[in-house]
Amino acid sequence: MVSSPNAINNSAIDLANDLAIDLTDVHKTYGRKIRALQGVTLQVRAGEIFGLLGPNGAGKSTLVKIMMTIVRPDTAKGTVLNRGVGDPVALARIGYLPEHHRFPTYLTGRQVVEFSGAMSKVDRPTRKKRASELLDRVGMGDWKDRPLSSYSKGMRQRVGLAAALVNDPQLVVLDEPTDGVDPVGRREIRDLLIGIRDEGRTVLLNSHLLSEIENVCSRVAILVQGRLVAQGTIDELTSSSRRYEIVVEGSAPAWCAESASVRMIPAGQMLSAGIPGESCRLVFLGLDALGAQPILDRLRSEQRTVIAAQTVRESLEDLFMRAVTDPTTGLIYRPGAAT
Amino acid sequence: MMQTVAIFVGAYRELSARKIFWLALAISLLVVGLFACLGINETGISFLGWTFESPMFSTNTTSPETFYKLLFVNLGVDWWLGVLSTLLALVTTCGIIPDLVAPGSIDLLLAKPITRSRLFLTKYCTGLLFAALQVFVFSTASFFVIGLRGGAWEWALFAAVPIVTFFYSLLFSMCAFIGVLTRSSVASLILTLLAWTIIFTINISESIVNSGRIANQMEATKIESELANTENPVDEDKREELTGDLEKTLANRPTWDRAHFWFFGVKTFLPKTTDTLKLLDRWLLDGASMPSRNEESERGPQQAFGPKRVKRGEFQRAVKADEQSHSIWWVLGTSLVFEGIVLGLATVIFVRRDY
Repeated sequence: MVSSPNAINNSAIDLANDLAIDLTDVHKTYGRKIRALQGVTLQVRAGEIFGLLGPNGAGKSTLVKIMMTIVRPDTAKGTVLNRGVGDPVALARIGYLPEHHRFPTYLTGRQVVEFSGAMSKVDRPTRKKRASELLDRVGMGDWKDRPLSSYSKGMRQRVGLAAALVNDPQLVVLDEPTDGVDPVGRREIRDLLIGIRDEGRTVLLNSHLLSEIENVCSRVAILVQGRLVAQGTIDELTSSSRRYEIVVEGSAPAWCAESASVRMIPAGQMLSAGIPGESCRLVFLGLDALGAQPILDRLRSEQRTVIAAQTVRESLEDLFMRAVTDPTTGLIYRPGAAT
Repeated sequence: MMQTVAIFVGAYRELSARKIFWLALAISLLVVGLFACLGINETGISFLGWTFESPMFSTNTTSPETFYKLLFVNLGVDWWLGVLSTLLALVTTCGIIPDLVAPGSIDLLLAKPITRSRLFLTKYCTGLLFAALQVFVFSTASFFVIGLRGGAWEWALFAAVPIVTFFYSLLFSMCAFIGVLTRSSVASLILTLLAWTIIFTINISESIVNSGRIANQMEATKIESELANTENPVDEDKREELTGDLEKTLANRPTWDRAHFWFFGVKTFLPKTTDTLKLLDRWLLDGASMPSRNEESERGPQQAFGPKRVKRGEFQRAVKADEQSHSIWWVLGTSLVFEGIVLGLATVIFVRRDY
């Protein structure tokens, strides 16, 4: 089969190194002073949902816009879908939903999705078929032939998601996809994201909603003032805060005081609801359930009553707050890019 | 190609969603409808059964075919398409580029596999779609009116489509440039209208100065020939008067020449909006054998401006000959260079900007 010279081959791009996004040393300065990105390195594996986190003005949107060629970087090494940044072949295989998108309101949902497909060089029969399927999939099947002017914000968001998927993308980049969507819709979008990941696609999710990221993302990166301060799985990033907590009746055993990794919280303080007041909490830093078994055995051998025992680790919110806090001053970094 | 078609289809949907598009189209058809209601008979011009007596326009002086062609050229093209329809088109399309570069809208398009320059220039071309559609509808309706009422099926009328679209492209290139620079529809519209007014003023000024220059030359030549006429020599008093007039005329010549040099120099670098529409006269007159406005105006009242000693018709022919000494390629070429520079600058700004 001979394709036209203008056509882009829409077959999947082979990701030799298994990375959908592999960017290094991304710099961007707006004007002369605002350093939006300062040497960011980001790796997103194929087939995962990756969360991009950061406070306002941290550079998340700039990074996404650089990948999508909306912003021109000062420097950006590496690849997106195994191609240079801005390569049209890669762009044809990316689905993108920007934050605060503005689709023409005189178009119907179907027309928006079909236009998006045409701009991604999806042939007419395919984009017509996919438009119907995707609008049904995002719950807009009954509204697809009505103009966007009659849609709510959440409905436009759903249509935007369908438009981002019309080119059968290998990589889906979503900037605040649940913005303006009600809780039921959020749940549906979350299920949709999991569904598209299960189809083998990679999702880069830029969201302020930490619970949303925590629920669906296998790996995250945190950007603060244009620098990447953390990147990895949530487990990896919170491992340093991992601890094992045991609540025992009475005062703390004397041998616990000898261990540097044990914090003892006396009776009456920081006890969970439902735990009697005449007890204390032993916090074993860096310990998991397996490592805690000998301690539990010793406590039982000493006839101590173990009221509760559990592995505790930081939530994503705790991790995020730790990342955006200056360790020297203990103050949260000012919002915005570095100047 | 798929993307270009999609952008054009999107532009058509955008235009058809705007009431002003349909309003302009309706007015176009109304104008042509009015032409159709007008008629010409032995005593003058008729309108829906009433007859207005006219010594100038009757079937004794003008054929119905010529009458309708004159209406098309002088009213339809010069006033409706050249001014009013263009204003409506600018109002309708001035938002195309600002809307393109608006946050949330530009992101969706730049993320697609299309180069920025192609995206911008295609969007620019969609702006011309409005003008082209309007002119096409107007020309088609006029074609049928002239055919059915005037008895002549004049295909040359459709030359109006490329010429008026090109004329509009000259204005829209400035609109696009201002749009990409300011991102504001209102600023695009106002500044384009201002630029159009300035260009029009310079064109008219150059035309007036050129007429003055030609009048000066013809006047001097006429006086010289009267003075040199040996067959019919003038008396001494008359000779003295003529010599004085000649001296005055020759003394004014450097001023006219200098003024024309500067006006013509400035005009050369600007788009020839007026001359572009006059091309339509040239083409239609050659193609459709229609009387020109200048020939028609020769039958009109005497103009105050012109050389005193030269016949009006002779002077007008000289002015027309001078105007037409500029080739079509000079008119189109210099305008295209201007348009190219303006569009090039706009494209560079669009391509290099962060959104």
